[in-house]
Amino acid sequence: MAGNFWQSSHAQQWILDKQDLIRERQYDLQSLTEDEYQKVFIFFANVIQVLGEQLKLRQQVIATATVYFKRFYARNSLKTIDPLLLAPTCILLASKVEEFGVISNSRLISTCQTVIKNKFSYAYQQEFPYRTNHILECEFYLLENLDCCLIVYQPYRPLLQLIQDIGQEDQLLTLTWRIINDSLRTDVCLLYPPYQIAIGCLQIAAVILGKENSMKSWFAELNVDMDKVQEIARAIITLFELWKDWKEKDEIQSLLGKIPKPKPAPQR
Amino acid sequence: MESKLTRYEKIDFLGEGQFATVYKARDTVTDKIVAVKKIKIGSREEAQDGINRTALREIKLLHELQHENVIGLLDVFGHKSNVSLVFDFMDTDLEIIIKDPKIVLTPANIKAYMLMTLQGLEYLHLNWILHRDLKPNNLLVNFQGVLKIGDFGLAKFFGSPNRIYTHQVVTRWYRSPELLFGARQYGTGVDIWAVGCILAELLLRVAFLPGESDLDQLTKIFQALGTPTEETWPGLKSLPDYMQFKVFPGTPLQHIFTAAPDDLIQLAEKLLAIYPLNRCSCTEALNMPYFSNKPAPTVGSKLPMPTSLVQKVQEEKPSLKRKLLESMEGATLPKKLLF
Repeated sequence: MAGNFWQSSHAQQWILDKQDLIRERQYDLQSLTEDEYQKVFIFFANVIQVLGEQLKLRQQVIATATVYFKRFYARNSLKTIDPLLLAPTCILLASKVEEFGVISNSRLISTCQTVIKNKFSYAYQQEFPYRTNHILECEFYLLENLDCCLIVYQPYRPLLQLIQDIGQEDQLLTLTWRIINDSLRTDVCLLYPPYQIAIGCLQIAAVILGKENSMKSWFAELNVDMDKVQEIARAIITLFELWKDWKEKDEIQSLLGKIPKPKPAPQR
Repeated sequence: MESKLTRYEKIDFLGEGQFATVYKARDTVTDKIVAVKKIKIGSREEAQDGINRTALREIKLLHELQHENVIGLLDVFGHKSNVSLVFDFMDTDLEIIIKDPKIVLTPANIKAYMLMTLQGLEYLHLNWILHRDLKPNNLLVNFQGVLKIGDFGLAKFFGSPNRIYTHQVVTRWYRSPELLFGARQYGTGVDIWAVGCILAELLLRVAFLPGESDLDQLTKIFQALGTPTEETWPGLKSLPDYMQFKVFPGTPLQHIFTAAPDDLIQLAEKLLAIYPLNRCSCTEALNMPYFSNKPAPTVGSKLPMPTSLVQKVQEEKPSLKRKLLESMEGATLPKKLLF
C-alpha cells in the first residue's frame, strides 16, 4: 500500500473516467453551471482547509478529507447530503484513518460553530446547525459510499522524491506544494494518479519561477505520459483563472441557494 | 445498507474479545459460511467519536490487502457507529491446535505452518504494515489447512523514521526485548520475534517464554537466550526503560529444542536474535535452507485438525444409520402414496 500504489484501492477503484464524472453530475448541473459547480467545491475545499487548520491537523489529513469529500459527490448529487455536514464528517474520518491524534466529536462541532461564525459568516448567516448524531450517521454513510476505500495517496510524497532528484530546490518545493494544495479544488485528484499530479504542479511552479528552460531536459527525461501532465496543468490553470475573477464573498450566498437540497425529513 | 443487516444469518456464537463479538453466519446471497465481527459500541464517550478506531484500522488495511495467508475482509455493514465486519470463516487457530493433546505435530506440519505464517507476514511487511500482535491465537486455520494471519486491530504502517510508536503492543509472551525496554522506534523485528516465539511453541507445545510481568518476561528471555550487553546490542543502554539485568549466559537453542534438526535451529536463531538488527526479514527466513530441505511441508488437506472440530463435523454429517433409515423412509413414503 504505502509500498504499492498500483495495487491499491485508490489506483484500482478511484481513478475515475472523465466521462463518468460528467454523467454522474448531470442532475446537479441542471441547477448549476459547470463553473458554478466548481465554485461550490472551491468553497467547501476552503471550509475543510480552515477547519483542519483550526484543529491543527497536518496537510496530509486535510488533503485526505478533501478527497473523501470529492469522491462522495463524484457518485452522489449535492442534494443527498448537505455539504456543510459532509465537510466536518470527512475531517473526522480522515483524522482517524491517518492516525494523527484524536478529535472528539464535541471539539469538532464546537470548531465548526466558531469557524462558520467567524470566518464564513458571509456564506452562512445562521449558526452551524448540526450535532453529534448527525455527524455519526453521516460518517457511516460516507464510509459506505467510499466503498470502504480509505487509504488515499497524495502527490506530496512523490513531490518530495522528485525534488530530491532535481536537487535541493526549496523555493520550487514550497511553491509546488502550494499548487498541490490548490489542485484539491479541481477534479484532478479524481482523475489522475498522484505522481502525475505532482509533475503537473511542478511544471506550473517551474514556469512561475522562470525555471522552465533550465528544467526542460529534466522534464524530457521523465518517463511519464506528458499528455496527462498537460491535462492536469491545464485544469489547474483554468482553476486559477476562474478563481481570479470570482468574488466569493459577494456571490457565495446566492450560489449556495441554488444547490439542490435534500427533501425535508418527514415530520413525525 | 439496510438490506445487509438481513443478508447474514447468525448460525453460532464464536467468541468475544475486548472490542468485538464474533459470530458464525451464513451469507444468504452467496450461501458461504462467514465470520461476522460485531464491534462493541463501548462507553458512551467512545460512541460519541463515531466508528471505532480499531475497526477502522482493520477496514482500511484489509481492504487493500489480498493474500492467501492474510484474512480476507469480505464486507462491512452496520448502522451509525455500530459496525460489523465480515471475514472469511476460519475453523480454528494455531493456539487450539497447539493445545490439543491429541494432535501430533510432525516436523513437516510445523514447516507448513511456519511457511504460511512467514509468507503472509512477508506480504504485510512488503506493504509496509506491521502486524504488532502476532500470536498463535491470531493465526487462523481453516478446514482446508490454510493458515491466515488475522486480527489487524493493532496493525500500523511503518517506515516513517520520525514517527513515534507506542511500545505497549504485542501480547507479552510474544513481545520482543526492544519493546520491553520501551523502544519507541522499531520495525519488522517485533513481528519476526513473535514468529520465533510461535515456532518455539510449535516445538515445545507450551508457550516458550511465559512471563508473568514485563520484568519477568525480560528475565525469561535472557535466561533462555543470554543477557545482552552494549557490545552485543549497540545502543541498548540508551533505550527508555533500560535496566541492568543479572547476566545469564543463555542456553544454546539445540539444548532447548533437543529434537530439532540443525536447519530449524538456524532459523530459530535468526528469528530470536536478541539484537533487533540481527533478526532476519521474512524474505531472508523463507530463503533459509530449512524451507528447501526435507521434509517438505505438509499439504493443507493433510494438516491435523482439532479433535473437537472433527467430531463436530461428523455430527453435522448424518450418521450412516440415520442415512439408511431416511432412505428406507424415503423408499417407503412413495409406496404409501401408491396405495
